[in-house]
Formats: sequence, C-alpha cells, structure tokens
Amino acid sequence: MPNRRTFLAQGGAALTGALLLPALPGCAPTNPLAHIKGQMVGQDAATGHLLRDPTRIPPPTETLETEVLIIGGGVAGLSARRWLHRHGLRDTLLVEMAAETGGNAAAGQNAASAYPWGAHYLPVPDVRNVELLGFLQECGALTGYAPNGLPIYSDYHLCHDPDERLSIDGHWQDGLVPNLNLSAAEEAQFARFFKLIDNLKAAKGRDGRDAFCIPLDHASADPEYRQLDQLSFADYLTREGFTAAPLRWYLDYACRDDYGALAAQVSAWAGLHYFASRKGRAYNATGSDVLTWPEGNQFLTENLRRQAAGPIQSRTLAYDLRETASGVEVLTYNAATRLSSRVRARRVLLATPLHIAHRLLAQVPGHALPPHNALHHAPWLIANLTVEGLPQGPGRPLSWDNVRYGSASLGYINAAQQSLQQENGAPKVITLYWPLTDEAPGPARRRAYQTPYAEWLPRVVAELETYHPGVTPYIQQADLWVWGHGMVAPTPGLVWGAARQAAMQPVRDRIFFAHTDLSGISIFEEGFYQGIRAAREMLGVFQADNPLST
Amino acid sequence: MVETNVEPAVPPVARRAQSPGLLLVAVAVIATCGLIYELIAGTLASYLLGDSVTQFSTIIGAYLFAMGIGSWLSKFLDGALLRWFIRLEILVGIVGGCMAPLLFVSFEYVASFRLLLYALVGLTGVLVGLEIPLLMRILENRYQFKDLVARVFAVDYVGALLASLIFPLVLVPQLGLIRTSLLFGALNLAVAAVVLARFPETRPYRRRFAVGIGAALLGLAVLFGFANRLLAYTETLAFQDQVIYSKSTPYQRIVLTRNPRELRLFLNGNLQFSSADEYRYHEALVHPLMQALPQARRVLVMGGGDGLAVRELLKYPRIESIKLVDLDQGMTSIFRHNELLLALNKGSLNNPKVQVINADAYQWVRQDSGRYDAVIVDFPDPGNYSIGKLYSAAFYTALVKRLAPGGRMVVQSTSPYLARQSFWCVAHTLAAVGLHTVPYHLYVPSFGEWGYVLAGPDAHWRGDAGPLPAGLRYITPGTIHDMLRFPPDMSEVPTEVNQLNNQALVRYFEEDWGPYVH
Repeated sequence: MPNRRTFLAQGGAALTGALLLPALPGCAPTNPLAHIKGQMVGQDAATGHLLRDPTRIPPPTETLETEVLIIGGGVAGLSARRWLHRHGLRDTLLVEMAAETGGNAAAGQNAASAYPWGAHYLPVPDVRNVELLGFLQECGALTGYAPNGLPIYSDYHLCHDPDERLSIDGHWQDGLVPNLNLSAAEEAQFARFFKLIDNLKAAKGRDGRDAFCIPLDHASADPEYRQLDQLSFADYLTREGFTAAPLRWYLDYACRDDYGALAAQVSAWAGLHYFASRKGRAYNATGSDVLTWPEGNQFLTENLRRQAAGPIQSRTLAYDLRETASGVEVLTYNAATRLSSRVRARRVLLATPLHIAHRLLAQVPGHALPPHNALHHAPWLIANLTVEGLPQGPGRPLSWDNVRYGSASLGYINAAQQSLQQENGAPKVITLYWPLTDEAPGPARRRAYQTPYAEWLPRVVAELETYHPGVTPYIQQADLWVWGHGMVAPTPGLVWGAARQAAMQPVRDRIFFAHTDLSGISIFEEGFYQGIRAAREMLGVFQADNPLST
Repeated sequence: MVETNVEPAVPPVARRAQSPGLLLVAVAVIATCGLIYELIAGTLASYLLGDSVTQFSTIIGAYLFAMGIGSWLSKFLDGALLRWFIRLEILVGIVGGCMAPLLFVSFEYVASFRLLLYALVGLTGVLVGLEIPLLMRILENRYQFKDLVARVFAVDYVGALLASLIFPLVLVPQLGLIRTSLLFGALNLAVAAVVLARFPETRPYRRRFAVGIGAALLGLAVLFGFANRLLAYTETLAFQDQVIYSKSTPYQRIVLTRNPRELRLFLNGNLQFSSADEYRYHEALVHPLMQALPQARRVLVMGGGDGLAVRELLKYPRIESIKLVDLDQGMTSIFRHNELLLALNKGSLNNPKVQVINADAYQWVRQDSGRYDAVIVDFPDPGNYSIGKLYSAAFYTALVKRLAPGGRMVVQSTSPYLARQSFWCVAHTLAAVGLHTVPYHLYVPSFGEWGYVLAGPDAHWRGDAGPLPAGLRYITPGTIHDMLRFPPDMSEVPTEVNQLNNQALVRYFEEDWGPYVH
C-alpha cells in the first residue's frame, strides 16, 4: 500500500497531468522515460564474431598442455568437467568466451536483489534421473529421502507460493491455464488435452521405454511416438481437433517459453514432450513444482563449477583447432589480456553451440555437424527492471511467474519470490522474458543486435505497461540483454532425425561433443545429461588407452 | 462581490418561449443533488465518527439551518440572476462533488475533522439553500405566483423522494459514497452547462463559464477514476472511535483509538487488541505454556511488539531474560514511550530483563544461535503470502532448533470458529515438523472465539502442572482445562500442511474470512 506522501504526490501528479494535458496540446511533455537508468549488458558478440575472421587475432605467445580441453563453460561443459573430475580425470582446462561460466544460466545483482539473465528454474526431476538427484543433493537443494523413497527438497529452493498468475482483461487469475470466461466447448478441449497428456505421461512404447522422458535419449524408439516428430505441433493439434483459441494460446505460450519458437515451428513430439516429460515426484512437492533461486540457474551452474577444481579461463575464445600426432592443438585468444595461447590436449570436448563447433572444425574432416544456420536458434531479449512498485489490478497478488493473456513477451518473474522477509515496499527486480519470434531467427537476430538501447527501452516499458498500466514512473532501472542464439528449437525432424545422432559421434576418439543443441531441446537437464554422456564416452576411451589405470 | 453586468433586456414574451419546463427539470435535479449531499454527509459522519443517531441528527440539523442561511442570503443577489445561478451550480457541483473524497482523505487530520465536516456541511447547505429562491426569482415572470410555488415545491419534493430512494438502494451499494458524491457534483455542473447553452442571454460569458464547467467536470471525472485508490487509501482510516495516534511505518499503519471504555490498537485496519479484554487474550497466550515450564529461565517472544505478552511473562520472577523480536520499530517504540500504553503494558518493554530486537523474524531465527526454554509466537493473522511464510513448516523447523531441551512453544492461531480450516492448518503444520500439539481456545469478546496451539517435543504437557501467578483475571487450572475442549462447530477438520511452496494457510484464511469481508 502506498504511504500517504507517495499517494498524494502520485495522485496530485496524475490529476495535474490529466488537467494540463488536454489544455496544452502544443506543449510536448518531457521524455517520460528520462528517469530510467540502464544499458545493454550481456554477451560480447564482437569477441564471438572474431571467429569469422581469425586473421585479426594475434599469434600465440605461450603453449599450455592438458589432458582434456573443454571448450565452452555452459551447463554441458561444466557438467562434463565435474563428471571427469569425479571419475579421476582431473587434468582439464576449460575455456569460456564469456566473462563467467554458466552459459545461458547467467545472472546479475544489484542493491535490491540478485536476478537471472536467462534460465531460472528446474522442474522437480524424475526420480529415475539419479545423476541429477545426486547433484541436487550436493547442492543442498535435495535434503534427503523420505521413508517411502521419495526425495525431500529444501523448502527454500522449492518455488514459493503463489507461483503463477495470468492476467486476462486486466484481471489476474490463479495459474497460467486460462480459466476465465471459457465456453463449455473450450473447457472441454482443455480437459481433453490434459487427459491426453496424463495418458502420454504413463505411456510406454513397445520397447518398454517411456514414450516421453528426460533425458530424451532415454525415450522410446517406438514409431508410434517418434512419428510425431515428423509434423508440426500446430498441425497435430488441428488434426486432433484442439482448435480452441485459449488452448492454442496456452500451447503457443508453452512452446515459446521452452523452445523460443511457436507451435507451428516445433514438432508435435517436442510440443507434447514439454508436458508429458514432466514426471517429477517428491515427498514434499508435486510434479508441477519447480526449484528456483533469485539468481536463477546460476545457482546450479556455480555449484557445477565448484564441484570440480580444474583451471578455467574466461573471456577466452578458441579460434583454431587442428589434430596433431599426439592429440589436438587449439589456439585460444584471451579478450582481457589480448594475448593468444596454443593449447596441446590429448582430447578436446566441444561444449559449444553446434554452429561454433562447425566453424572450429573447418579444417577437421570426419564430423557430421550440421552446417551453419541448419538449426533454429531464436534470439531472446531479457530485461531486468528494478521497480519501486507495481500498480496492481484486481485478482491474485504478485506471483513468481506473471503472464498476460495474448502478450508479446512471456511475462515476468519476481526475483524476490524466495525472499523470507516481510514486504516493506523496498524496490524489487522483475525479469521480463521475450523470445523474438515475429520473424525468422536470422533476420530477428540481426535486427536485435542492431537495435540500440534507446529503441529497446520504450518497447520494454510499453510491454510492461500492458501488464501494469501506470507503472512507468515506478521503474528505476532497466537493463537489457540480447541473446543472439538463445536456445535451439526442436523443429520437425530434429530430435529423432538421423542427423542428431550422427552429430554426437566423436571424431577419431579425440574430439567429443556435448551441448543441448545435440538434444534439440535447451533445458538444464539435457545440458547436464549431454555433459555426462560425453564425459563417459571420453572416460571409456582413456580407459581403453590405459586399461590398468582407474 | 457586486454584480455589475446587466443582462440584455429581453422582452418577457420572448422569454416565455424559452423552456421554463427546462428550469423545472433543473429544480428536480438540484433538489435530488441537495438531499444526496445531506445523506452523504450524514452517512460519512456515522461511518467515521460512530454513533449514527447523533451524527445523522446533527448533520441534518446543521444542513437545514445552513440552507436557511442560504435562502436568506439570496436576497442580496441582484442583477443578472441567471448568471448567478450558473455560478452557483458550478460551486455546488465542485463543493458537493468533492465532499465525500475530501472528508475521507482529511480524516487523517483528526484534530480538525469535526470542524471541517461541519464547515463543509454548512457551506454546501448555504449554497443549496440559495438555489431554490434564486430559481423562483428567475421563474417569477413566467408563472403566476401560486403556480410558481406549487410547481417548484412539487418538483422539489419529488426530487427529494427520488434521492431518498436511490441513495440506499442503488447508489451506495453500486457506486459507494465517493463516486456518488462525485456523480452528483457532475449533475450540478450539467445543470449549469445546460442552462448556459439554452439561454441566449448567457452569450457574453458563455465561453468563459464553459471552460470553467469543463475543467470542473474533468476534475471530478479524474477523481471518479481514482475513487478506488482513494478508498483503498482511506479505508484503514475509517474507525468508529476517536483516533488518538496514527503512524505509517514501512511495514504497516498503526492506529490507536479511544472511547470512554477502552483503547483499541489497529494494524492496517485490523483490530489487534481492546484494552477492555486483552487480558483474556494475553493470559491465555502465556500462562498455559509457562505454568508447565517451572524451569524456564529464557524466553523468546516473536511479534508481540505491544509488550502485553511480556507483561504476563514478567509475572514469573524465575524468568531471567526475555528476547522480543518484532519487525517494526515504530510499534515497539510507542509501546516503550506512550504513557497510555505504558500504563497498559506496565512498562514491560523497558524492564531490564527484556531485550527488544527489531528484526525480520524469519531472517533472525535462521541466524540466531540462542536456546530458549519457552517461545511465544504472536504474529498477525496469515492474511497475506508474506506473513504466511511465518506460519510455514520450514519456519517452525527453524524455530524448533532454538528450543532448549524440554522447551515448548505456543502459537496464536487465529479463530477456530471463524477460520476453522486456518486454525487446524496451523495445528497440523506444527505436528508435521514432529511436535506434539495441544490446541485450545477461549472467548475474547472483542475478537470472538480465539485459538492457540501449544507445541513441544513430547506429550507431557499438563494444564495443572505448576502454580499460576497471583491476580490473573481469566486463567485458572479450571479454565485451562475448559479451553482444551472443542465443541463440534470448531472441532478438528482435515487440512494440508502449510508449506512455502503451497501456502495452504493463506488460501484457507482467504476462504474462511471471505464471507466476512466481502
């Protein structure tokens, strides 16, 4: 509740404004956004783009040696590094182009709060994903097991209630599934869809495997399900009679949320997987609960990083890779020192997006990586806004995830959701997620990079105004981050096509690959799994080199 | 001010051609408006000051008297009567229209509220009293006197009937007082506008007055749009008794009211205690726990910044230290310094055994390393998600770690009658973290049935375990025994456990209290 002074000041300002504006049509108001501080932050695209023209990079001045070089410090690279260390292979070097590891689990911090710059939650996992449960236990997010065997998660890591709300015509309802003013026919379609999902969650293929599960490599090969990868989710929905506009909005929302693409752009298998793979169970939570932290999934990636002790070079770009008689030689460039190094490794793990890996392997034959631009990588805009208040409409109060029906963005999350403090009117940070799905990824990405802060800011503020009319004066700060290659979209044929399996194959047991691009779905669990898969392949090869060592 | 502009002479015949009927409609409208303002003032005064018979009676008296003054003053208005009338309507529209919002907001300035109330009622009355005599003089050339009186008064009384019917049946339930006030202010302005537009003699000043009317209408419209925010802001200020203290802290609004019988404390408009019967609440909170802990030396109180639970604790000389953790320094500060309140809590917070800590309870419990023989949890009811966290299993888990071996705690747990699910949810949540619970309840006249849950590591609590301090007014071993019985309308109901990730308690509390607040 506003105190008296702010109330009178705002009321007075609004009143004066309302009285003056019509009377002074020729008097241009001062910029209503002038009070908002902020800037573009985020990835240094310029460093990454050096890869396109490596001749601008100085020659190496030193030589480093390591058993394993890991290129890329996102979830997959950190997960592989942790797994290698746990299994005795501790001589690793990880190079990361950004200033910090963590990939798109980046985060920031200001006086009000820590806040995410990307991935920010993990659904309660499937209990069969023992590697993931073990990791969460080491993080302190999983505190133990109940007598019935179900994991118990920390109350401070499970997302606090109220978790989700949806604004329809200015009224905030509970949950994201639209339920205001639905016709009976629309309600029936929702019920039928969720019934279908329940069936698919339990469904097993003829090989005995789950029809849908995480990691998706463990899912059934039964053609009955895999054929769903051949058509688009939108076509599937239309074919099955799921045509109600509110349902289609909700499903488009889900696809944009997890894949950065529309239902018409992803495969039916992937669209269904989003719902049917969520089989988490816990003693003190349900399958729809999630784990979250003010800094988002940086909590997880920082734990991944800390759980192994090998050296990490950040702001370091690998720009050249060649095979030698004894292994692999990689040239790296450090954007901080502006010096280059030669790294000699017995084996290398490319834990980068596949278009980067493809460019690095330009001189190396024998891989099956997809050519540049073969994958659909949507660009995203993320805005972190520090607000002194949010003018609240009727209905449910501020929740963790706040979405408006029909909104261009995906809505915002409240970074302070897990705070245990009593509400005291202090500024909050909210994080707005906006996949740029209006045009094809290439043009959208170029446009996003070229759009300056001064053009982004009014768009972001206008978007937030549709959620909270009158919020503009409350915004103190707005920092923006453009992810050029936000995440891979599982377009039809990607997940179960032959190309994905081929791309995962190591090159002459020297060059290995791990990235969510190889899953076709960019979620923490897949990155975590890809890292472990590649680490296991590597460990197997090292053991074959030297069968007596452990 | 002396009116110097003289209207152009228009022959009476030409005038007659022009809508005297319109002016009669104006009579009906302004009569309705006039009565509505009177009803608004009376309702508001009863609402804010209490004692509706007195308020209504004195407001109506003052209003009618002021109308009389207005009627008498009308004889001093000469010259361009129509112009005076339009001016008057604009004034009535502004003053009457803003009456309710102005009174609601200015109630904050309690010292001068009655003065302001009667000044506004008087001003509106004078202006409304001017209207009818003025109109009759405007109409005097158009009707015979007997016709004029008959028509004007007939229409006037019809307007009054209309107002008295729509006010309670339509306006207050549909629009509320603030919007009703603004709407009828706009109607007065509309009368001014129509008269201005329809009478040619207004031409010389039409433009100027039209701007004024437009601006006033716009102002009322903006306030109309803000009415909900105004109300949200003022609702906490609407108390029955004389407000003797009010303060907004970053966390809450503290209001203290007084009537001849009692002091009452409100936080965000919710009653926290009445001095008339708070002893029941605080004796029941403290003594069933303390009589069972004859060894207790160190006590922790969470919430309870009024020092009333501490007052009860200090009746046990064996207690060596009391830590009181309350979020709001504004709260503990007035209960350490205000004389009326010091008389009530016997200066408990200034006792050398007592350490007052202004901190956020959850954060404090997680970082504290002390151990306490008794813990008293006296938080506000779980009316929002922020406070709901202080009733969660995770919070109790953290709190149990602060209990010394053999220590026990008690939690105020809202009303088992009015909020039955909420009460049992608290009990079940305490049980879920492994505590043995003893729910009990009593009747506190100003609250109704109220409940608590005792919780400890074992089932050995007894209601007649040790001696009680002398001079208690409610608690005896017999009443402790009685408080343990739950009749069927408050008996245990199944509930979920309140966890941070389901906030079951806040949802129950909304359901339970929903019927009482909407």
